[in-house]
Amino acid sequence: STAVILYVYGYNYLRSQCAYDVAPGGLLASVYHLTRIEYGIDQPEEVCIKVFAPRKKPRIPSVFWVWKSADFQERESYDMLGISYDKHPRLKRILMPESWIGWPLRKDYIAPNFYEIQDAH
Amino acid sequence: MAASASSSYMAFSTAGMVGKRHLRNNNRRVLSVSAQQQQQQQETLEETTKVDTTNETLPVKKQPTTPRPVEPQINVKSKNMGKEYGGEWLSSTTRHVRIFAAYIDPVTCEMDQTQMDKLTLILDPTNEFVWDDVTCTKVYSYFQELVDHYEGAPLTEYTLRLIGSDIEHYIRKLLYDGEIKYNMRAKTLNFSMGKPRIIFNEDNKGSPDVQ
Repeated sequence: STAVILYVYGYNYLRSQCAYDVAPGGLLASVYHLTRIEYGIDQPEEVCIKVFAPRKKPRIPSVFWVWKSADFQERESYDMLGISYDKHPRLKRILMPESWIGWPLRKDYIAPNFYEIQDAH
Repeated sequence: MAASASSSYMAFSTAGMVGKRHLRNNNRRVLSVSAQQQQQQQETLEETTKVDTTNETLPVKKQPTTPRPVEPQINVKSKNMGKEYGGEWLSSTTRHVRIFAAYIDPVTCEMDQTQMDKLTLILDPTNEFVWDDVTCTKVYSYFQELVDHYEGAPLTEYTLRLIGSDIEHYIRKLLYDGEIKYNMRAKTLNFSMGKPRIIFNEDNKGSPDVQ
């Protein structure tokens, strides 16, 4: 999987990078959506790559050094699903508060019973 | 950040000083960072919990743990440190419960943040409920139990939020049992824990008014 990411460097635009949880207890997937931007082309070719990582220790090499736009996107995938990206310069939580425990968008995440300010009756 | 945070805190404290309800409680709290403190604290904690819960023959109601006495400290100055100096403002605030990881002097409201091994609970500064000594001590002892229960957890805002939410759920339970009531003369009477209704207990939450 890591070799594949380096291989497709002909595409110079990372459109988006997202991640999702395949099944509760299954793998975690990290998706890269790449296109090639050139001058004067209407329908650029696109490629979508999914990288599957095991749930226990999800580690994927970061593509930040290839496409800079992956910076915040990989931080979000880290924050929400716990996939840690190697060699990412500033991999820390971006949406949840820094001291949050748990990976919110995983399918087996249970939110703790925080108090809501007002009950809507 | 530190200056604005401290000024906003002082505004709250002067507003709270109007009423008579200075409801503060200080507590000893063990950080997971300092291992030496943890050892000492654990012995004292085990003593108190054992004393309280083992002398019940017919445990109809569990005897609440008494809050540990606080030694009053004199000459406490506000030592608010910005993030540059390594100070951290750890707090969890909801409408009725405010928990700070600092020592707040009950009289002068000086907040000393260098003593981060203590948690301070400010209970219902807006006086949405009617409190008296019995219910206050109930909440304090629950807070004490919670802190003992959470011992060893990392001192982050996340755990403070968990503790605050547990205390709020406990206040809500007290409300539903009829032990505390809404303060009908509060400035913002919006029944944030549920509208008053007739329940199976004899005491009602608000003014019953059913004919």
